[in-house]
Amino acid sequence: MLATIIASGLATGAVYALVGITYNTMYATSRVMSFTAGQVGMLGGVLGSLYMIVWGLPLLLALPLVLASCALIGVITEYVAVRPVLKSLEQHLYVLSTLALSLMFQQVTAIEWGTEPRPFPKLFGLGTGISDEKFWIPVIACILTIIGLEYLYRYTLLGRAFVAVAEDNYAAQALGLPERNLRIASYALAGAIGGLAGFSGGELMLAFFANGAVLNFYGFVPVALGGLGNNKGAVIGGLALGLFQQAANFMVGGIFASVAVFALFIIVLLFVPQGFFGSATARRV
Amino acid sequence: MKLSRREMLLAAASTVSAASMGLARPALAQTDPIKIGWLAALTGPSSAPAVGFNRGVVFAAEAINAAGGIKGRKIEIITRDTQGDPTKAVNATQEMISQLKVQAVWGPTNSGESLAVTPILARAKMPNLHPCVVDTLIDPVKFPTSYRIAPSNTQWDDAVRNYTLKILKAKKVAVLGDTTGYGVSAANASAAAIKKDGAEVVYLANIDATQPDMNPDMLRAKNAGAEAIVCWSVSTGMLARLFNTRAAMGWDVPFIGHPSMSSGEIGSLIEKPANWEKVYAVGYKSCSYDAAGKLPAHSQELVDRLKGKVDLKDTLLWWVAAGYDAINLFAKAIETSGSTESAAITGYLNSLKKFPGYFGTYTYSETEHNGYQTEEVVMSAASSARDGAFTLAPGYL
Repeated sequence: MLATIIASGLATGAVYALVGITYNTMYATSRVMSFTAGQVGMLGGVLGSLYMIVWGLPLLLALPLVLASCALIGVITEYVAVRPVLKSLEQHLYVLSTLALSLMFQQVTAIEWGTEPRPFPKLFGLGTGISDEKFWIPVIACILTIIGLEYLYRYTLLGRAFVAVAEDNYAAQALGLPERNLRIASYALAGAIGGLAGFSGGELMLAFFANGAVLNFYGFVPVALGGLGNNKGAVIGGLALGLFQQAANFMVGGIFASVAVFALFIIVLLFVPQGFFGSATARRV
Repeated sequence: MKLSRREMLLAAASTVSAASMGLARPALAQTDPIKIGWLAALTGPSSAPAVGFNRGVVFAAEAINAAGGIKGRKIEIITRDTQGDPTKAVNATQEMISQLKVQAVWGPTNSGESLAVTPILARAKMPNLHPCVVDTLIDPVKFPTSYRIAPSNTQWDDAVRNYTLKILKAKKVAVLGDTTGYGVSAANASAAAIKKDGAEVVYLANIDATQPDMNPDMLRAKNAGAEAIVCWSVSTGMLARLFNTRAAMGWDVPFIGHPSMSSGEIGSLIEKPANWEKVYAVGYKSCSYDAAGKLPAHSQELVDRLKGKVDLKDTLLWWVAAGYDAINLFAKAIETSGSTESAAITGYLNSLKKFPGYFGTYTYSETEHNGYQTEEVVMSAASSARDGAFTLAPGYL
């Protein structure tokens, strides 16, 4: 029983963490919390099923195609929902524009793909019971993403440019960094990470249009718990959320598990409003 | 004589009112078709049942018309696609009542639409048959012109409980529902009835249909000692996950419950075909194969008639049969009573005793508008679909 809770808790937690990283990556260069993050995750599963089961593509072809498609969704988000709002309107209106675009992605998927969940293929066909691949693929995807992002941010010029824009947008622009292009690139990267979340969790969550809303909610929780913009916090927050949710599912079951998750979420935010790993920023008055 | 404008207007108004009040409306010519409205969710997410019903409806109308109609009058089916949307169903109903002036209405085919439409039909005294399961849709006092042609949710529940307790002889039962309004109310009602019948409900839970892992609930049910799991959900994803989890746990507890458990979509979502064994979904005696793989003779007669004309491979036989029965019942009501008036049609239906339809044997009265017989609701082996019908669950054979 404990092993089951840990296996499925870590797996769902890893998917939430990846969606949390998607939120963070979009946030880093634009200061915008984009609610398309969960929908990109949903599309990762739906497109994975489309490419592999409907079109019959092999994994090695389907995975890059899913990541590229989701990166494109990320870029569309930047162009349609973020850029116009940042340019000409009060900043907080992005909540409405990204939420509207997110609902559009969901409804188009419902119309074109259907409202019933559809199967997601077995990627490798390895393991049974609690060692089933559906439990460890998301965890491995999450670890690889963290390693990849660390490498990108620490050792590549592009990554350092991302960090520079995230740190101080105006200073980065003054130094001649192409802020707008970097923002588009970060949205593409975020889209690919979100796509990977849905693809790696596809066997667990199936190819289902309603997963978008679920991932939007549960992907946001680790971001808030771990601290906005902090990937380490998102991963720890995501895994903790997954484990807590599964434990709550087992202890109190069904509807009350969601209540337990959000009760804990509110309590944490009351005491640590900046999240466990976020730093409280001083505001000049 | 000089008429003022006011006198002229008064004269014109009185002429019009005299004409409209004094002259009798011309009676409908006896060759005019009999119009039956059909509120069908033919497109949209919940369209599968209506597509099936429609095949029976069209077949029945063609058969009746080919045989000369009803006393020389053809039947005209006026279909409106409601897309499963209550607002569209209401609009279509208003159109049928006030503009198309239909004689009776068949449908809608899902409860959400019916809840919106039934009071309107009652106000217009429009004879109405529908197959929706929500119990409150049938109330001879509030909705005296509405009749149910399929079982109610309570009848489904009775069949599931009887099979679980009497045939499978389970003493400890787990009851699962999803977190929709239907899932919560159906699971609670089911658990209450099981307890009333003397069995123990060892686990009652509502599961979010998008929950990726069903292990927690299945483990809780197993640890509580459940000998059978009664399940009320239309979410095929959740149901398939439950069946897959049961197999991964190496547990052979039977599932009994909602007809969605036999939906074809589950076949593509289960990890291996064996995971769908020992799953028993609500079915109907008239549309079930016996041990020899044969349908009841009366149903076989319908299947033979449909052969080559109606495809049963991608639908359910009961949908087609119920669609046929609905049109046939209206036709018989008009033929027997010799009138298309509402009171004549409902009068005929209220006097109906054991009318042998293809889907069921219907009995209605002034005070009982649930016409389907509970004993005709049975459980089927969920994975045994063949040409729209299922094999009876073990225990009946």
